[in-house]
Amino acid sequence: MINFQYARPNEVADAVRQIAADPRARFIAGGTNLLDLMKSDVEQPSRLIDISRLPLKSVEETPDGGLRIGALVPNTDLAYHPLVESRYPLLASAIMAGASQQLRNMASTGGNLMQRTRCYYFYDIATPCNKREPGSGCSAIEGLNRMHAILGTSESCIAVYPSDMSIALAALEATVRVMGPGGERTMAFADFHRLPGDTPERDNNLEPNEIITAIELPPQGFAKNHSYLKIRDRLSYAFALVSVAAALEMDGEAVKEARLALGGVAHKPWRVEAAEAALAGQPANEASFAKAADIVLSGAKGFEHNAFKIDLARRAIIRTLTQAANGTPQSQSSKKIR
Amino acid sequence: MNHTPADQPQPAPTADAPRNGYTINGKLYFAEPQPGQCLRTFLRERGVFGVKKGCDQGDCGACTVWLDGTPVHSCLMPAFRAAGREVTTVEGLAPPDGSLHPVQQAFLGAQAFQCSFCTAGMMMTCAALTDAQKEDMPQALKGNLCRCTGYRAIADAMHGRAEIAEDIAGEACGASVPSPLAHAIVTGEARYTMDVAMEGMLHLKVLRSPHAHARIRAIGRDRAMAVPGVAAIFTWEDVPRRLYSTATHEDHLVDPDDSYMLDNVVRFAGQRVAAVVAETEAAAEAACRLLEVEYEILPAVFDPVAAMAPGAPRIHDERGEERGNIYADIHGEIGSVAEGFASADAVHEMTYSTSRVQHVHLETHGSIAWQGEDGRVHIRTSTQAPFIAKQKLCHLFGLRPSDVHVFTERVGGGFGGKQEMISEDLCLLAALKTGRPVQWEFTREEQFIGATTRHQMTTRVKLGARRDGTLTAIELHVVSNTGAYGGHASETLGASLGGPMTAYRCPNKKAAGYAVYTNMVPGGGFRGYGSSQTAFAIECAIDELARLLGIDPFAMRRKNMILPGDWIESAWNDPSDVDFGSYGLDQCLDFVEGALAKGGGLPKPEGEEWAEGTGVALAMLECGPPTEHRSGAQMRLLPDGSYHLAVGSTEMGNGSITSHRQIAASLLSARADRIAIVNADTDLAPYDTGTFASTGTVVAGQAVRMAAEAMRDSILGFARRHTGADCRLDDNAVICGNERVGLAELYAIGTRAGHHFEAKRKSYLSLRSVAFNVQGIRLAVHRATGEIRILHSVHGADIGRLINPMQCRGQIEGSIAMGIGWALTEQMVYDAEGRMVNPALRNYRIPSYADVPPTEVFFADTYDRIGPLGAKSQGECAINPVAPAIANALADATGVRFPHLPLLPDRIFAKLAPHA
Ligand SMILES: Cc1cc2nc3c(=O)[nH]c(=O)nc-3n(C[C@H](O)[C@H](O)[C@H](O)COP(=O)(O)OP(=O)(O)OC[C@H]3O[C@@H](n4cnc5c(N)ncnc54)[C@H](O)[C@@H]3O)c2cc1C
Ligand code: SF4
Ligand code: FES
Ligand code: FES
Repeated sequence: MINFQYARPNEVADAVRQIAADPRARFIAGGTNLLDLMKSDVEQPSRLIDISRLPLKSVEETPDGGLRIGALVPNTDLAYHPLVESRYPLLASAIMAGASQQLRNMASTGGNLMQRTRCYYFYDIATPCNKREPGSGCSAIEGLNRMHAILGTSESCIAVYPSDMSIALAALEATVRVMGPGGERTMAFADFHRLPGDTPERDNNLEPNEIITAIELPPQGFAKNHSYLKIRDRLSYAFALVSVAAALEMDGEAVKEARLALGGVAHKPWRVEAAEAALAGQPANEASFAKAADIVLSGAKGFEHNAFKIDLARRAIIRTLTQAANGTPQSQSSKKIR
Repeated sequence: MNHTPADQPQPAPTADAPRNGYTINGKLYFAEPQPGQCLRTFLRERGVFGVKKGCDQGDCGACTVWLDGTPVHSCLMPAFRAAGREVTTVEGLAPPDGSLHPVQQAFLGAQAFQCSFCTAGMMMTCAALTDAQKEDMPQALKGNLCRCTGYRAIADAMHGRAEIAEDIAGEACGASVPSPLAHAIVTGEARYTMDVAMEGMLHLKVLRSPHAHARIRAIGRDRAMAVPGVAAIFTWEDVPRRLYSTATHEDHLVDPDDSYMLDNVVRFAGQRVAAVVAETEAAAEAACRLLEVEYEILPAVFDPVAAMAPGAPRIHDERGEERGNIYADIHGEIGSVAEGFASADAVHEMTYSTSRVQHVHLETHGSIAWQGEDGRVHIRTSTQAPFIAKQKLCHLFGLRPSDVHVFTERVGGGFGGKQEMISEDLCLLAALKTGRPVQWEFTREEQFIGATTRHQMTTRVKLGARRDGTLTAIELHVVSNTGAYGGHASETLGASLGGPMTAYRCPNKKAAGYAVYTNMVPGGGFRGYGSSQTAFAIECAIDELARLLGIDPFAMRRKNMILPGDWIESAWNDPSDVDFGSYGLDQCLDFVEGALAKGGGLPKPEGEEWAEGTGVALAMLECGPPTEHRSGAQMRLLPDGSYHLAVGSTEMGNGSITSHRQIAASLLSARADRIAIVNADTDLAPYDTGTFASTGTVVAGQAVRMAAEAMRDSILGFARRHTGADCRLDDNAVICGNERVGLAELYAIGTRAGHHFEAKRKSYLSLRSVAFNVQGIRLAVHRATGEIRILHSVHGADIGRLINPMQCRGQIEGSIAMGIGWALTEQMVYDAEGRMVNPALRNYRIPSYADVPPTEVFFADTYDRIGPLGAKSQGECAINPVAPAIANALADATGVRFPHLPLLPDRIFAKLAPHA
């Protein structure tokens, strides 16, 4: 870890000014990801801009009946928020599937969106990694890539984006509000994160001089038929091998509208609208779900150690959609098995 | 580091020196954290040592504190964040009136700890839970790992179940009396190795090799030396060029002297290259990074079979040509397996393998060394074997034994990992060279890449049996990957060919084992010590053979298991010093079969995708190692009529200080808390080989028994002579005829008369008894995704008389949890260059609360005629049947045999048909 300066603005505009002034400055919210990266020398900011005092901590209903979540709302508060529990249980469930009580107490909504990959090599500064050091090469492509992506990979990076919360946000079609020197703008969730392409150093489309201020959820919460399934090596407190967020609007035995997003398989939450469209109007049965799974995974490509993820994801999609259709969401409490 | 010991609560500074105010446990401190400092180290620098480090990365929860009442991982919290807020640590949990917080009381009542390194963090999480959260402990405790307990005792604490027994004079043995340190543990006062501040302390850090095999051509130190605060740098040129083994055993000849403190050849990625000592850890770390090492890369080999082949790269070329990389090989045959297989109706042959895993004791390795005013050197360290560590230090540095003092404070878990001297030597070197105290604490990453591991073994098993199930031949072929150094290699290899094969009676047995050097991190001692690996293979194979013959797995075992009176033999003809001090295998098997049949545990999850199966496995342990093991105990009556007991053996969470006190107390008809115990200190306690090989009770406990008996005889003898009546002890007095004489009074009289109320005894291990463990598992596996859920776990243990039932149960539950981790989730992953890619607890997954089901534990009703007060060994063997029972249940559920650990979803799901 290296020495750094430290600032604590009270206003969003001030925070934006400060980040714009110094390209090596970083915002620090909960710090659970940033401090970890600093301990491994992956991040060496010259200046920390502590944003914990910014007024971005409320959860409010929007005029259209949706929800606006401030970027600094702690993950715990969000998961237990009555409006989230009742109207967006898929989001609550995904948050509870991730990290631990202590971490969720510290971690912020914006920080969760921004959290960086858990690729082993990204964390190990002794190894080449294009994301950490553009142009140095990717150790994972020929290395141990069991945890890595099967969709949307590039020649320069095959990392996965590790958030659980964001997979649900993707399925729920959230929007991200950001503020920059030129004012505020919104981005569809699907446009926020990006594929590695040949610039894997960029995780998302937030400009270096912008700050996330809020996440907005549309009114439709899929509270009745949803499920978040996370498959991992240990029952709790491990990042996903594959995770699936499924949300359905049912019409009797048939699917009226479907949302499907995958985690642990790509550099961003993976959503394929064609697969969702293919489910609309279909009977909620295994055949329909399998078809949707095949569409989602049609371009999937495995590497030496992670090819298993393709079939695992297929099976997980079918299982999660089944849970959603039956109204029996996966419990994130491991005592109850469904 | 700019803090001084005077960094105590202070009055607010004046305006010209504005500093941040931090409220820690109600006291206000003014201090400026160093740039980038996390709250954890900031608190510890203020002497708040209840805040522990298990990982420093947010993975383990040992550092949990409250910030304004909310639990957070202090290692991931920037210290400056706490300015103006209230920090509460375990030291501040209890109300000021001196009573305990309900959670502390609950942890004390349920003795919800073993090494207790996790306890402070665990309690801080638990004490902040809402009632609703308490309903879902697996979720609530996601962020707190415990390696020792298997979480059951923690669950008990949270459900308000208290189990501690009253400490009644003369009845300590067999009662669940609490640890003598229980109060200190729950209040955070218990001190571990690193929990001390010393004036002038230097910090040591080590540069480790990125290469698996290389010769060091040169090490440039100028840039490193220029880092402000660096005091000294040590490379292979600065250390005594003396060979030794880091493994600790009574007989040093069982391990090869193949290591140098620092060497000019590195043989695994992670090996020490150079050490830096500096004023701060950060400076030492920075300097390590600036060392310029020129390596000549040498060819490396990682697979032991490849390493045995002619022409393979040589790991230790000073060894004779003809032996190549084979460090040890063991062969034996009794009867004739060729004839045995010829007469078999069914033969099963398969290759099984087990993975390299790490102990993950929550407290990492570490020591502090300094030169005392007495002119001697003192080493405070986290070890299982302080006396052997002392011998090795004397050997390395040419010191006289009387000039070296090695001791432990509380040890935060060992499991065999601390049967190794891997931190003391460099600290002592640096302390001798700089004249200052030097401390070195391993990081969690170093724990994975630079400490020892369980030997990876590949076992080919061939079993033959007649139609009725009677075994006709057992043949084992074991290849053990000992890594770059051979400590524990031959002993674990011997153990691998011992117990698991001895457990079955069969006239024809053959064994061949090879321990092979490779460029991997070294193997070492690890709970189960070699026999866990082959127990996995043999117990799986017994099930497969039973399946071939259509025989029930329980019946198959009953037909062939060793029975009292049998000649106890593995595959060699030499007589052994093992005998049946007692026998309870039959009871254990009956219990497990009955408990599985009765049901219990969780029901199978709904849905046809879930398949269910049950499995059983057994294990046999010879109590104590076949090599020498010695221990000593010393007792003294004190002027106030209480006792002093000194035992050499280390307490590392195994509970030995509790049980040793109980053994002494019951022989002295006293309450346990009349006895003050010191242990694991080369100045204060008699010699002990070390706490390993399940000897804490059968060897050290035996010494305590003998010392206590001698103490009793000394007191009663004097009292009889003094009063002329027949006497007996009663707590703090002797009763002679009708007269009751207080021990304080007796002491005064006796001492005046020149009597010495003292006793010292040594014990030595031979004859050795046998102990047994049987594990039963019912599990469900999801055919589509390969997830495994353990639904019901039952365990029968034949460990003789229980000195402390609660502790015994804890040891078994901890072993089971460790077995579950080994079977299902733990795996050290290496890349093609032999570097570990997952050296962090988030990627190397030990079981969390949610992963460990409660186990129904049964204890066979046996009383051992060899062990002290009827007790036998118990710390290790319970792990051995766990992995095979799980694998057998998985085979039962799916019809597919998975012979390689761990049973991760991606390894198994592909072989499962998604539909029944
Ligand atoms: C051991 C461990 C286990 C974990 N397990 C899981 C898991 O299973 N599932 C899961 O989803 N997550 C998991 N996490 C990740 C955790 O959820 C994230 O670390 C957390 O959400 C990050 O939030 P933060 O506020 O602490 O971010 P910080 O560490 O403060 O910031 C992270 C990054 O985001 C930037 N940033 C923060 N806020 C903003 C903002 N408003 N605008 C712009 N940039 C911003 C910072 O500059 C920084 O680069 C785990 C973390 C750890 C340490
Ligand atoms: S996958 Fe991406 S993050 Fe991982 S090593 Fe390759 S470039 Fe780096
Ligand atoms: S030391 Fe902080 S979580 Fe492990
Ligand atoms: S008691 Fe929990 S880690 Fe040792």
